[in-house]
Amino acid sequence: MSTSASDNRASARFFGKVSASVSHEIKNVFAVINEAAGLIEDFTIMAEKGMPIEPKKLKRVANSIQGQVQRGDAIVKNINALAHSTDEDAKKVDLITVLELTLSLAMRMADMKQMKLEMGECESASTVIDQFGLIQVLYKAIAQTLELMAPSATLIMSITTDETDAIISYVVPDQDIALKLDDAVLDLAQQLNISIQNNTVNGSLDLRLKRVD
Amino acid sequence: MSEKVLLIDDEAEFLENLSERMSVRGMDVNTAETPESAVTAMDENDYDAIVLDLQMPGMNGIEMLKLIKKTNPDMQVILLSGQATLEAGIQAMKLGAMDFMEKPADINALTERIKKAQAKKMVIVEKKAENKVKEILNTKGW
Repeated sequence: MSTSASDNRASARFFGKVSASVSHEIKNVFAVINEAAGLIEDFTIMAEKGMPIEPKKLKRVANSIQGQVQRGDAIVKNINALAHSTDEDAKKVDLITVLELTLSLAMRMADMKQMKLEMGECESASTVIDQFGLIQVLYKAIAQTLELMAPSATLIMSITTDETDAIISYVVPDQDIALKLDDAVLDLAQQLNISIQNNTVNGSLDLRLKRVD
Repeated sequence: MSEKVLLIDDEAEFLENLSERMSVRGMDVNTAETPESAVTAMDENDYDAIVLDLQMPGMNGIEMLKLIKKTNPDMQVILLSGQATLEAGIQAMKLGAMDFMEKPADINALTERIKKAQAKKMVIVEKKAENKVKEILNTKGW
């Protein structure tokens, strides 16, 4: 397979993986709503037989449905944002927004491994980049870092800036592990002009991008 | 006799709503949100059926199924999944799951399977009792 076809395949696999995770989450949302609606139906049948409905229970179920609808809406917003990140080859993006989106998309993956993802301190910064490509690099960096982490550990991502660059840092506090990424992710990062370095001072993995105002 | 059921799923609201629906239908229901609490519940109670989510943090349903079958080979386990692929279903049945259903599950279909699980368990218990009696009779030479 040529490099371009191989890259396309990798991108498709990434989108497929995220879509599968999102669809699974949405199924869970439907499952909760299904049982809540069924419970309301059960209460109705009981009321028809003369048994009193407890308003507290009804309220709990109604709130459950509303909460799940909000949850589902947030999930759909995230996958929609990922889908639209392919609209343009390169555009100015807010890095905090992109990092938050990536974190949300990766949250279920971390939950399944019983690990935590957190946003650390983030300075405001923007760059001009292929947004889908950036999300792909950030997501895969999370995935590969999770593989290196011990159970119950926390991966913290933060953004700092210097005169020319924005630096997205991945750090796993209290764990002495060498964070590293595979060649495929490093190649993709290079294509996007993202420089990846290991910070030997604080043990973080730093992704450097050129800032724009 | 009401069916005694353990529901295992990491979604607390799903457990709460489904367990209430099952209680309304006369079942005696316990719930567990984690593999650890599920193991504790199984150690302390004798269930007719276990309804188990296929994908849970920490230990997936297939691993949980293997653990259940190791400690209680006769336990009737119904797997629930958001993605009931043929592959996953076959793997679950090979490992001894009683059934495999896709979420959201129809409560009537689930109830029917739980009743079947209880009936199956009663047959197994009776068979074991019968074999025990035969063994005693053979040993004592009566």
